[in-house]
Amino acid sequence: MRNLFLTAFMLTFLITTNALAHKVIASAWTDGADIEGEVGFSNGIMAEKGTLVEVFNDKDEKIGETVVGEEGLFRFTPTQAIAHKFVANLGAGHVAQYLMAANELPEGIGLKNTEPPKEAVKAQSDIERPIIGEEKLTRMIAKAVRKEVQPLRKEIAAYKEKNNFQSILGGIGYIFGLTGIVFYIMARRKEKSAP
Amino acid sequence: MHIVDGALSNEVVIAGGVIAAAGIGWGLRKMDMEKIPAAGMLTATFFVASLIHVPIGPSSVHLIMNGLAGLLLGWMAFPALFVGLLLQAIFFGYGGVTVLGVNTVAIALPAVLVHYICSQGIKSEHKKVAMFWAAIAGGGAILTTALLVTLALALTGEAFLPAAKLVVLAHIPVMIIEGFLCASAVALIHRVKPELLRDFSPVEGSLKNA
Repeated sequence: MRNLFLTAFMLTFLITTNALAHKVIASAWTDGADIEGEVGFSNGIMAEKGTLVEVFNDKDEKIGETVVGEEGLFRFTPTQAIAHKFVANLGAGHVAQYLMAANELPEGIGLKNTEPPKEAVKAQSDIERPIIGEEKLTRMIAKAVRKEVQPLRKEIAAYKEKNNFQSILGGIGYIFGLTGIVFYIMARRKEKSAP
Repeated sequence: MHIVDGALSNEVVIAGGVIAAAGIGWGLRKMDMEKIPAAGMLTATFFVASLIHVPIGPSSVHLIMNGLAGLLLGWMAFPALFVGLLLQAIFFGYGGVTVLGVNTVAIALPAVLVHYICSQGIKSEHKKVAMFWAAIAGGGAILTTALLVTLALALTGEAFLPAAKLVVLAHIPVMIIEGFLCASAVALIHRVKPELLRDFSPVEGSLKNA
C-alpha cells in the first residue's frame, strides 16, 4: 500500500515537472482529407494520450474537438473551408495553440465525401495500370517528407529553446545599464533638492 | 513558473497588470540610492537563476530566487523583478509580454511578503537564527509564488486544488534548494557585510544621513 502511494507520488512528480518547465509546441499539416497535428513540449515530450484538442473557427466559435492519440498526434476532419484554430490545454498554464489558415486546408473539402472512395475502387480494379493515382502519390510523398523532416523539426524546436551565452550576457548588460540610469536619475534629483 | 500568453482570461491579465503597476510605482517611491546597486545585482541574479535548471526525473524546474530579492529589497523587489521578467520574456521567451503583470505579481508579491515576515528574523545577532529565517524566506517565497500562479489559473477556470497540489509538489525541490541558497547568502552577508542587513530594512535613514 505504502509502495503504491510512493509510486503514485513519484509519478505525479514526473508528470508535473514535464508540464512545468518547458514551452509548448503545436503544429498541424494536411494528411489526405484530414488535418493531422501534434502537440507537446519543446523538450521532445509529447502531450499525453487522451488530451482534449478543441477546434475553433476564426470567430472563436467552437466547431469541433478531437483527442490526442499516440505520440502527441491528433487528427481532425475539416468540413468547412475556413481557418481552423486548434487549442489544447496541457495543464498548469500551458496552452498549445495552432492556427491553420483556410488556404492550408486539405483541397476540396466540400467534395471529399463522395470523391475518394470512387478513386480508391478504381485504383484497385485497374490492374492494367500499375501507375498509382496522382492523389495517392502526392499523399505518399507528403508522408515520406514529413517523416524525414520530423527529427529536424524537433531539433529546431530544441534549438530555439536553447539560450545562448550572448543573450544571457546581453540581459545582464541591460540590467546594469538600467541600474546606471536609475542611479543617474536619483543623483540628479538629489542634486536638485540640495541647495 | 511563468504563465504563458493566452493561458489566462482577460480580466485576470488586466487585474495582474494593475496590481503590478501599483507595486512597481510604490517600489519606485520607496527607492533609495543606497539600495540601487543591490537591486541591480539581485535583478541580475533573478534573471540568471531561471536558467539554472534543477533536474528532476526526465525534466527540470528552474530556480526563481525571489525570496532573497524580497529579503534585501522589500518593496523595491517589484520594479527589480519586473525588469528581470521583462528581459526574460524578450530574450528567452519565458512567459510573455501580455501576462507580464500577472507574472510580476506572482513573483514579486511573495518577495514583499517574506520581507515583512522574515526581515526581523534575519537581523538576529545569532547566525543560526538568521539562517533559519532566511531559509524560511527562500522556501516560503516559492510556495507563495506557486500558490499565486495556481490562483491565477484557477480564476481562469482550472480547478484550484488539484492544480495547486501538483504545482506545489513539483516545486518542493526548488523550495529546498532556494531555502538553502538563501540561508547561505545570509550567512555570508552576516560574516562579510553585516551592515547590509541592518541598513537595508528600515527604509528611511540612509538617504537622509548621506
